[in-house]
Amino acid sequence: MGEHFYEILLALGVLSPMVSFWILVFAGPKLGKPTAGWTAVVLGMGVPLALATWVLISWWWGEDSVSRAALTENAFRFHWADIGSVPITLGVKLDSLTVAMYFMVTFVAFWIFVFSIGYMSGHSDEVDGQSKYSRFFAYLSLFAFSMLGLVISSNLLFLFIFWELVGLCSYLLIGFYFDKAYASAAAIKAFVTNRVGDFGFLIGLMLVFYQLGTLDLDQAAAVFAEQAATGSGIFSSDFSLFGWSLATVMGVGLFCGAMGKSAQFPLHVWLPDAMAGPTPVSALIHAATMVAAGVYLVARVFRLMTPDALMFIALIGCLTLTLMALVAIVQVDIKKCLAYSTLSQLGYMIFGLGCGAWIAALFHLMTHAFFKAMLFLCSGQVIEGCHHEQDMRKMGGLRKKMPVTCWTFFVGVLAISGAGIAGTTIGLGGFFSKDEILAVAYVRAFEWDDAGKHEVHDGDAAHALGSTHPVTGVRLVSDPVQNAHGGFARAEARGAANAHGEDTQHVGHDDSARASIFGTIPALPKWMFYLALFTAYVTPFYMMRCWWMTFMGKPRDENVYRHAHESKLMYVPLAVLAVGTLLASYFLFRPLIADAATAATAAPLVLALDGHEHTAAIGAAHRFLTFGVGGAFIIAFLAAIAIYRRGLETPERIRRALAPLHLVLVHKYFFDEVYDVIWVKGCLLLAKVARFIDTWIVDSIFDMLAAATERIAAFSGLILDKHGVDGVVNGVARSSTDFAGFIRRWQTGRIRHYVIFATGVATVVFLWIWLAGASNADAAVVSAGM
Amino acid sequence: MSILTWIVFVPMLGALLCMVVPRRQIRTVAVAASLVTFLLSLSLFATFFNPAGETSGEGFGSRYGMLQHVQRATWIESKSFAIEYFVGMDGLSFPLIVLTTLISLLSCLASWNFDKWAINKGPRAYFALFLLLETGMLGVFVSLDFFLFYIFWEVMLLPMYFLIGAWGGPRREYAAIKFFLFTLAGSVLMLVALVAMYFYSDQAITAEMARQGIEGVASGYREGVIISHGTFDLMELATNPAIQNHFAASSTLFLGWRFAPLMFLFLFVGFAVKLPCVPVHTWLPDAHVEAPTPISMILAGVLLKMGGYGFLRLCYPIFPTGGMTWAFPVAVIGVVSIIYGALCAMAQTDFKRLVAYSSVSHMGYVMLGIAVMTDTGFQGALFQMIAHGISSPMCFFLVGMVYERAHHREINRFGGLWLTMPRYGTLATIGFFASLGLPGLCGFIGEVWVLLGVFAAAEKFTWAIPMAILAAAGVVLTAGYILWLIRRVYLGKEREEHAGFPDASGRETFILVPMALLCIALGVFPMQTVFIFTNGTLDAMLAQMARVIGMGS
Repeated sequence: MGEHFYEILLALGVLSPMVSFWILVFAGPKLGKPTAGWTAVVLGMGVPLALATWVLISWWWGEDSVSRAALTENAFRFHWADIGSVPITLGVKLDSLTVAMYFMVTFVAFWIFVFSIGYMSGHSDEVDGQSKYSRFFAYLSLFAFSMLGLVISSNLLFLFIFWELVGLCSYLLIGFYFDKAYASAAAIKAFVTNRVGDFGFLIGLMLVFYQLGTLDLDQAAAVFAEQAATGSGIFSSDFSLFGWSLATVMGVGLFCGAMGKSAQFPLHVWLPDAMAGPTPVSALIHAATMVAAGVYLVARVFRLMTPDALMFIALIGCLTLTLMALVAIVQVDIKKCLAYSTLSQLGYMIFGLGCGAWIAALFHLMTHAFFKAMLFLCSGQVIEGCHHEQDMRKMGGLRKKMPVTCWTFFVGVLAISGAGIAGTTIGLGGFFSKDEILAVAYVRAFEWDDAGKHEVHDGDAAHALGSTHPVTGVRLVSDPVQNAHGGFARAEARGAANAHGEDTQHVGHDDSARASIFGTIPALPKWMFYLALFTAYVTPFYMMRCWWMTFMGKPRDENVYRHAHESKLMYVPLAVLAVGTLLASYFLFRPLIADAATAATAAPLVLALDGHEHTAAIGAAHRFLTFGVGGAFIIAFLAAIAIYRRGLETPERIRRALAPLHLVLVHKYFFDEVYDVIWVKGCLLLAKVARFIDTWIVDSIFDMLAAATERIAAFSGLILDKHGVDGVVNGVARSSTDFAGFIRRWQTGRIRHYVIFATGVATVVFLWIWLAGASNADAAVVSAGM
Repeated sequence: MSILTWIVFVPMLGALLCMVVPRRQIRTVAVAASLVTFLLSLSLFATFFNPAGETSGEGFGSRYGMLQHVQRATWIESKSFAIEYFVGMDGLSFPLIVLTTLISLLSCLASWNFDKWAINKGPRAYFALFLLLETGMLGVFVSLDFFLFYIFWEVMLLPMYFLIGAWGGPRREYAAIKFFLFTLAGSVLMLVALVAMYFYSDQAITAEMARQGIEGVASGYREGVIISHGTFDLMELATNPAIQNHFAASSTLFLGWRFAPLMFLFLFVGFAVKLPCVPVHTWLPDAHVEAPTPISMILAGVLLKMGGYGFLRLCYPIFPTGGMTWAFPVAVIGVVSIIYGALCAMAQTDFKRLVAYSSVSHMGYVMLGIAVMTDTGFQGALFQMIAHGISSPMCFFLVGMVYERAHHREINRFGGLWLTMPRYGTLATIGFFASLGLPGLCGFIGEVWVLLGVFAAAEKFTWAIPMAILAAAGVVLTAGYILWLIRRVYLGKEREEHAGFPDASGRETFILVPMALLCIALGVFPMQTVFIFTNGTLDAMLAQMARVIGMGS
C-alpha cells in the first residue's frame, strides 16, 4: 500500500458525492425520476461506502496499533493558505475515530439514500415535478460531501467550513417544501439558531488562533498541553469571566458551536421544527449524522478542555436530556416525538463528554445513529403509508398492515431504551452505551472525592489510576499530561486491551502529575446523576408510548387504517439498519473508539474515564447501578402499556389531572414564544430603529446641512455673487426636475458652476495652506538643522 | 509605453469611438472596448510569474514600492511644482485592476438591452460616459502620483453623476447630487492633504539636504529648474526616510495640530465617504436605488473599493503613526458599520436598498480589518474588497433582473420566484449565500481573516477582542436578513402575477455565471486566486510601516 493510502481513499470518498452533486445540478432534470436518485445512491454514497469499508478493513485488521499511530502521525497536510503568517493546512485527521465515524455515516446514509428513492417516488410530483426530485438528491449529495468532509477535517477552520456547509444543506432540505410557509420558516430558524451557536464557535476559534497560534487540531492540543505545563500563553492571562479562565472561555466557545448543531438547551428550538423536511432527511441529518457533529466536535477538542468547561458541558447536557425527554411524553406527532427523543439522547452524549465518558459518549453516538435512523425511517414508512398523517392519535393497530415496520420499530424502541439483561452482556444499543455514560457519571458523582483525595494523599496508589479503579471498575483512558506525540507504547497497550475487552495494566512515568490532576477535577453534582438516571426511566416510557399508540391497540381512524400499506423498496433499508443496530452494539465500534481514545483524550487538564467494565458488573457497589439502570426499561414499558393499553381514555384522564404541567410541556416550556419576543421581535425592532435613525436623523442632518449652506449662500450671494454660488446650492434642495431640464441645465452650465465652485474652494484652500506651510517651513528647517 | 497606460486609455478611445460610430453600433463598440481592456488586464497575470527586478515569483514586492510596468514622465512643471504622469502596479492594485475591467465588461453586457430601458434616450452619451468612467476608475488604481490620482478621482466622479442623474429612477437627480456632493466634500479635504503633503515633503527634503550639506535637487528625474523639493510621488512619500521622519515627528505641526494624525484624518474622511461607512453612508442607498442596474454594479463592485484602496495606498503607508492614533475610532466606525448596516438592511422592504445596506455592512469589515494594522487584518480587508467586488455586483444584477420583469422592488410582493425561474433561483442562491459569508464562497474568507486579524491584534490594542466579538455577532444578523430575504423573494408559493416571468436569458446567465464561478473559486482557493498576488506587497507595506512606527516610539 502506497503512502497516504488511507487519506487518499477517504478524500476520494468525500469528493465522489461532490461529483454526484454537480451531475445532478446540471443534468439532474434530464436524468429523470429514478435515474437521478440512483446516481446519488451510487456516486453520492455507494462509492464512499465502498471506500469506507475498504479503509475500515485494512485499518482495523491490516494494521496494528503501532502502525496506526505512525500513520496518524505522518498524515498528509496540504498547505491551503496563510492567515497572517500562520499556515492553514488541509488534511485528513486519520485515527480510529475518524474511520469509525466515516464508516457509520456512509453506512447509515447509504441505506437512507436507498430509502429516499422509494420515499420520493410518491412525493415529488406534488411539488414541482422532476426538477425538484433531482434537486432533492443533489442536496443529499452536497450533504454527503460536507458531512464526510467534516468528519475527516484535521483543522478547526475546515471543520468550521464543513460545519457551515452541513448547516446549509440542513437549511435547504428543511425548507425543501419551500412553498409551504412553515417549512421555510423552520429552515430559517434552523440556520439562524445555528449561527448563534457559530458565533460562540467563532470566538472559540479566534481564541485558539490567537492563543495557540495554530488551527490544526493536533498542533493546538500539543501547544495547549505545553502551555498548561509551563503556565504560559493562554494560562498566563489573568482574565476572568464570572470565575472562568480564558482557557475555559475558549472551551465553552467551541462548545457553543456544538450547542447549535447538536441542538442543546437553550439552542434546541430549531430541531423539532426541522421535522418539516422530508422524513429521510430527518433520519439522515436530524437524527443520525449532522446533529451528532456537535458531539463529534467536542470529542475532537476534548484535549483543549478545562474542568470548568467540562462542567458547563455536563450541565447543558444534563438539562437537555431531562427537559427534552419530558416534552417527548406529550407529543402526538410521531416525528416530533422522535425529534425530542433525539434531543434527549444528544443530551446524553454531551453529558457523557462533560463527565469525561469520552468513549461511552461516542459509542452512544454510533449506536444512536443506527437505531434512530431506523426509527425515523419507520416513521417515514408509517407517514407515507398513512397518506401523510403524522398524528399518532389517528393511528393505532397498524401492526397488521405494516408488520416489518412495526417490529423494526420495536427493535429501535428496545435499543433506545437500553434493553438487556442486567449483569450479563446480552443487550441492545443503549444498554451498552447509555448505561456506560451513567456508570461514569456515577463515579464522578459519588466516588470522586474519595478517589481524588485518596490518590493525592497516597502517592503509591497513583499508579493504580492507570488500571481499573478498585472501587468502581471505571478506569482512566489516558495519561493526562501525555502530548499528542508521546504515547505510542501506551496506545499499543491500550488498544490491544480494549480490542479484546480485557483489563490492562500500564505503568506511566508521570503518575504524580496524573494524581494531581485527579485532585483538581471537581466531583459531579449528585443531582445531575439523578436526573440522568431518572431520564433513563422516562426514555423507555415515551418510546413505548409512541410505539404502542402507532402499532398496537385498535385502529382509531378508519380512513387512515384502510389506506395503510408498506413499500418494499423502503423496508429493505429498515431491516438492514435493524441488523446494523444489533451488530453495532457488539462489534467494531467500541473497540475502534477505544483505540482512538488514548491519543484523542490526552488532555493536560481533564481526564477521560473508561466505563467499560460496567457491563460486566464488576464490583459490589456497581451492581446496584447495573440493576437500577438495567431494569428501568421493564418498569417504564409496563407503565406505558398500562396507560395506553385501552386507547386514549386513560391518558386523557391523566392529562386533565395534570393540566398545568401538560400545558408547560406541550408548549415546550414556552421557549419559542419567549425567543420570538426577545430575539426575533427584538431584532426587528432594533432594525426598525436603525432604519428610523438612518432616514430621519442621519439623513436629515445632511439635508439640514445642505439647506443651511443654501441659506448662507443665498445670503452671501446677495452681496457677493448673486448669479454664481446662489444657483449652485439651490440645486441641493430642489431635487426633482425633469430630464430635459436636467440636460438643459447641464448645457447652460450649472455643472460648470459646480466645477467652478470646487475650483474656487480649492484655490482658497491652496493659498491658505501655502501661507501656513511657508511660515512653518522656517521652523522645520531650523529644527532639522539642530 | 506601459501596458497600464493602454489599459487606462483604451476605454477612453472606445468612448471617442462611441461618439462617431452609427447609432446601432454603439453598444458593440462599448462592449468591444471593455473586452479589449479586460483581455489586456488579463495579460498582467504574466507579470506575476515573471516580475521585473525580482528573482522570486512569490508575489509582488520584496519591499514596498517595488512596482511593475512603471511609466513616468514629467507632465506639468513650473518653478514650484512637478506633477508627473506616473503609473505602476503592485500586489495591492493588481487584483483591483482586474476586478475593475471584469466588472466593467460584465456591466457593459448588462447594458446591452439599453433600448428596452424606461429611459433609453442617448445611448451615445450613455456608453461614452460609461467608458469614461472605466478610464477614471482604472486611472485611480494605477496612478502613483498623488496629483494624477486626484485628477482621476474627480474624472470618475462626473460620469457617475450623469449616469445616475440622467438614466436613473424617479429620484435620480436627488440621488446624483447627493452622491456628487458627498464625494466632493470628501475630495476637498483630500485636496488640502495633497497640497500640504507636497509642501511638508519639500521641507523634509530641504532640511535633510541641508543636514547632509548637499546642494541641488533630491531626485534624479527632475532637472535643476525646480526650487521646491516637494513630491507627489506616493511611493516616495511612503518610503523616503527623511519625509517619513518629518511627517511622523511630533514637532511637525499643521496649523497647531500634529501633522500625521491630521493629514490621516483629512485623507480618511475622503475615502470613508467612498467606502462608505456610517455616518457618511446615506448617499449609497439613494444612489443605488436610483441608478440603473449596470451602474449599480459598477458602483458596488468598483467605486466602493476605491475607499479601501485609498486607505491602503495613502492613509496607512504614508501616515502609519496617524493610523496608530486613530485606530480606535476607525475600528469603532468599522464595527458600527457592520452592525448598523446589517440592522438597516433587515428593516428594508425595497430589494435594492436592502442590498445597498448590506454593502455598508460588508465594507465595515474592510475598515475594521485595516484599522488594526496587522498582516491578517490587511489581507482580510483586501480579500473582502475583492470578494465583495464580485458578490455584490452579482446581487445587484439579480435584483435588476427581477425589476426588469416585475417593475417593482417590493420584497413583500414577491415570493416563489425559485419555482418560476429555477435557473435564476439557483444562481441567486449562490450570490446571496456568498454575500452571507457561507464557507466555500468568497464572502467567508474575508470575514474570517478580518475577525482573526482583529482578535490577534489584542497585543497592540486592548479593545481588539471586544471589537472582534461584536463584529462576529454581525454574522448572525447577516444570516438573518439574507435568509429572510431569500425566503420572502425566492421561497414560498408561486404567485399568479409572476407566473409568466421568463427564466434567465442566455445573456443574463452569461453575466451571472462568471461571477458565480468566481464566488466559488475565491472561496475554495483563496491563496491561489488572491493571496499569492497580494500578500507580498501587504507584508512589505506593513514592514515599512512598522519601521516608521518604531522610529516614532
